Amino acid sequence: MKVGRRKFLRAGSAALVGLSLKTDHPIAGSFVNDSFQMGHLLRDRASFPPAKRIEKFSVVIVGGGIAGLSAAWRLRKRGFTDFVLLEMNSEAGGNARWGENEITAYPWAAHYVPVPGPKAEFVRELFEDLGVLKNGQWEERDLCFAPQERLFLYGRWQDGLEPAIGLTQKDRDQFQRLEDLFAKFRASNEFTIPLELGRSSKFQDLDRLSFSDWLQQQGCDSRLVNWYMNYACRDDYGALAKDTSAWAGVHYFSSREAEEKGPLTWPEGNGWITRRLLERVGENVRTNQMVHHIAEAKRNVRVLAGDTEFQSEFVIFAAPTFLAPYLIESFPRLPDFVYSPWLTANLTIERLPNSRGAEPTWDTVFVDSPTLGYVDATHQSLRTHIDRTVWTFYWALAEGTPAQNRQLLLDKDWNYWKEAILHDLERVHSDIRQCVSRIDVMRMGHAMIRPAVRSVFSEERRRLTRRDGRLLFANSDLSSISIFEEAQYHGVLAAQTVLDRLHGHR
Amino acid sequence: MGILLFISVLLVAACGLIYELVAGTLASYLVGDSVFQFSTIIGTYLFAMGIGSALSRYLNRGLVYRFVWIELLLGVIGGFSSALLMMAFAFTQGFELILYSLVIVMGVLVGLEIPLLMRIVRDRYEFRDVIAHVLTFDYLGALGASLLFPILLVPRLGLVRSAMLFGLVNAGVALWTTYLFSNQLSSTRTLRIACVVVLCGLGIGMADARRITATAEDNIYADDIIFARDTHYQHLVLTRFKDDLRLFLNSHLQFSSRDEYRYHEALIHPGLAAVPAPRRVLVLGGGDGLAVREILKYPQIESITLVDLDPEMTKLFSTHPVLTKLNGKSFLSPRVHIINADAFPWVDSNTDSFDFIAIDFPDPTNYSLGKLYTTAFYRAAARHLSAQGLMVVQSTSPMFARDSFWCIVETLKRSGLETYPYHVYVPSFGEWGFVLASTHDYTPPVSLPSSLRFISVEGLPALFQFPPDMAPLSVPPNQLNSQVLVRMYENDWKDISH
Repeated sequence: MKVGRRKFLRAGSAALVGLSLKTDHPIAGSFVNDSFQMGHLLRDRASFPPAKRIEKFSVVIVGGGIAGLSAAWRLRKRGFTDFVLLEMNSEAGGNARWGENEITAYPWAAHYVPVPGPKAEFVRELFEDLGVLKNGQWEERDLCFAPQERLFLYGRWQDGLEPAIGLTQKDRDQFQRLEDLFAKFRASNEFTIPLELGRSSKFQDLDRLSFSDWLQQQGCDSRLVNWYMNYACRDDYGALAKDTSAWAGVHYFSSREAEEKGPLTWPEGNGWITRRLLERVGENVRTNQMVHHIAEAKRNVRVLAGDTEFQSEFVIFAAPTFLAPYLIESFPRLPDFVYSPWLTANLTIERLPNSRGAEPTWDTVFVDSPTLGYVDATHQSLRTHIDRTVWTFYWALAEGTPAQNRQLLLDKDWNYWKEAILHDLERVHSDIRQCVSRIDVMRMGHAMIRPAVRSVFSEERRRLTRRDGRLLFANSDLSSISIFEEAQYHGVLAAQTVLDRLHGHR
Repeated sequence: MGILLFISVLLVAACGLIYELVAGTLASYLVGDSVFQFSTIIGTYLFAMGIGSALSRYLNRGLVYRFVWIELLLGVIGGFSSALLMMAFAFTQGFELILYSLVIVMGVLVGLEIPLLMRIVRDRYEFRDVIAHVLTFDYLGALGASLLFPILLVPRLGLVRSAMLFGLVNAGVALWTTYLFSNQLSSTRTLRIACVVVLCGLGIGMADARRITATAEDNIYADDIIFARDTHYQHLVLTRFKDDLRLFLNSHLQFSSRDEYRYHEALIHPGLAAVPAPRRVLVLGGGDGLAVREILKYPQIESITLVDLDPEMTKLFSTHPVLTKLNGKSFLSPRVHIINADAFPWVDSNTDSFDFIAIDFPDPTNYSLGKLYTTAFYRAAARHLSAQGLMVVQSTSPMFARDSFWCIVETLKRSGLETYPYHVYVPSFGEWGFVLASTHDYTPPVSLPSSLRFISVEGLPALFQFPPDMAPLSVPPNQLNSQVLVRMYENDWKDISH
């Protein structure tokens, strides 16, 4: 048999290509926990079935995230059980939902609570209830283990997330200047958690400009300073500094003690708190209950979910507030409530990828990545030997407008996001494709409230926070920042107000 | 014809440079001081090349014939140079003598090559062309070799096979020359047979290089390795030199059979002998069964639970004849229950109570092991102590890692325990420390098992005395969220090794 030259070359090059191809692990996965279909039914004013039965409670809580569960926790803690909590999804938890596979439990969104300061009384009370705070001591196992954070910068790792290697004198000066400024703001006691307890109009001017403009006013033009400030805004607000109120930017850095012993965290992140709360209030929780109409009357409030009409004296609306205009009769639109879209993913890691020599940490961040890096779910494990783990990958889609990014989330398929995530990780973990067996992706169009310019001191917000009437709002978005402490504060406060008013009535 | 000829110049030049690099690299690896090694080897080699060039004038007849023999000789000597040098280092005292002799012989042969080649081709070209072409290809070959060597050869083939590969090239050039210049050779048959023999020899050498390296390495790296295995959890190496058996886990020495009795007697007896009527004992770590051997000296003990992560380790120490001889077949005792589990989760989930707990983990060299030296762990472990119970913790060296030692003491204190630190001298380790911990006062024992070689009732009080160079330091406790001990330990040992 004679093999032509051309044919030979073709066969030869095919063989070479075959040899040089890496054998990639097949990677499974899908989109999970999609909830926009239900939201879009509301948005598009779909028709819902008429009520077939009526149930009566003193209190109905709409929404089973941390705000709603905290309201329920306070009610039950005060011995009050005549209430129901309606959750749209099949699992309660909201941004503190979790998942679990044969390796570990893992978070789907919020994954830590900073050690609460003295002002966060309700949080401290909760943690005492959960055994995290005992006789003024934080349980060692619930504090984030060392080493906590690493940042990949200039081709190498550093401890902690604030850039510290390769700084010029200018970078250093600017970091120092900001640190001094934040210390002064902190000392003013205006920037507190919960936000409502400190905020006065004293620094209201800061809410009228963006954090990036404010940074520029302070003469901060260093690339690394700006990276870090933007990282903070993306991490806590899902927004770039230019889309964030300067007041909120300052709050991020000035609301907590400079020296704190590291956050409280668990394998399933704040899902651990959800689980503990559900142990306490689960009896009153109904899932798969999509509320589609709320009508406030003089003597009661009617809440329609599925084919049931719930009648109650009070409703605690703990779901994201942007849903209110779609649910509540003759409710005005809410232009001051802007939400950041997010994507999170859980990666099943079969063996630890090459990490350029660094020991694994809890949180891993790369400079110059549009994403927020990942958190290791087995970091809080007490085991000394860990082969397999789950990484929770965080990506706030902050470039561009929220509407554009929501569209992007809807348009692109799972494969697109899988590749995007792997590309991002490959910058540091070159063999990541050989180490991952599964990537599940969760898309959240309205993941967290965005403290946009002029939104912290918004009149609209103030009005909704009044807690008068039969309908009380409780979502963390009332504070304009989406953190555990705010959600819990508003939930507990709404429950307390309801209890006071009920007792007043009787 | 021309280009073929010059390609052999190129190949010959590459071989020459490779042998020089092999010698320099090997000497740097084995003896150290790479600047010195490379300088002297390059100098000697060039000087020897000069000798070769000078000698070339005495070769007058049969230039091609002689060139072929030089190539063959070089192929053999250069090709096996690397293997030869490794063996010389492993088995002889005279490594340097052999190294420089070899460098000189190879240099002389290489020095002969180019002058001979120039003379062979001088009739075909003008003198200036000969010089230009031969030297051009000579330098080109050198460039190629110097790039190939670090990028491809050393990482892919290793030193032994790289040298052999170029030995093959030399022999190949020899064979090729017999065809290229067959008209200038009276008889080619013997030459070609010789070429084939050399080629085969080097080919076999290439195939068997691994064994040569292994044989040499066995001798280079200290004692005989009698057992080596990568288990799922660690790299386990057991060495023997005469009657001394040593276990290394991830390259850290765990014990030497000559003095391990000091370590294990000190770990167990000051505590266990002080417990009134001990019945149940827990050992965490200690997969070598040596601590258990000491515990079995107390006939009243009914049950010993040993929790060790690595099943291969406990299996090895239950079955390997040399090792079971060392631990007195302790793992085969019906009183011993082996559990292969991660210690922290086990301690957390188990509810049994014990009269004595021996904690014998590897030193806190990383954050994973560091978890086993925290207040959280000691609190969990202390929950297993019976009312009269005692706990002992191996606590690294109070001499070499003084901060670390006192950090472990502090951590035990913060876990709500009374602490009684002590130390002993173990020759293969140096000064070594332990901490006894309990919820009540400790009184040293008044009697000990009869067969002890190191610990004695009279000697005990002295162990609890710390001289000024090991005296207590004020250090923070180790907690899961700080893991100060891991950093401290790293610094402590860094200070020692520099």
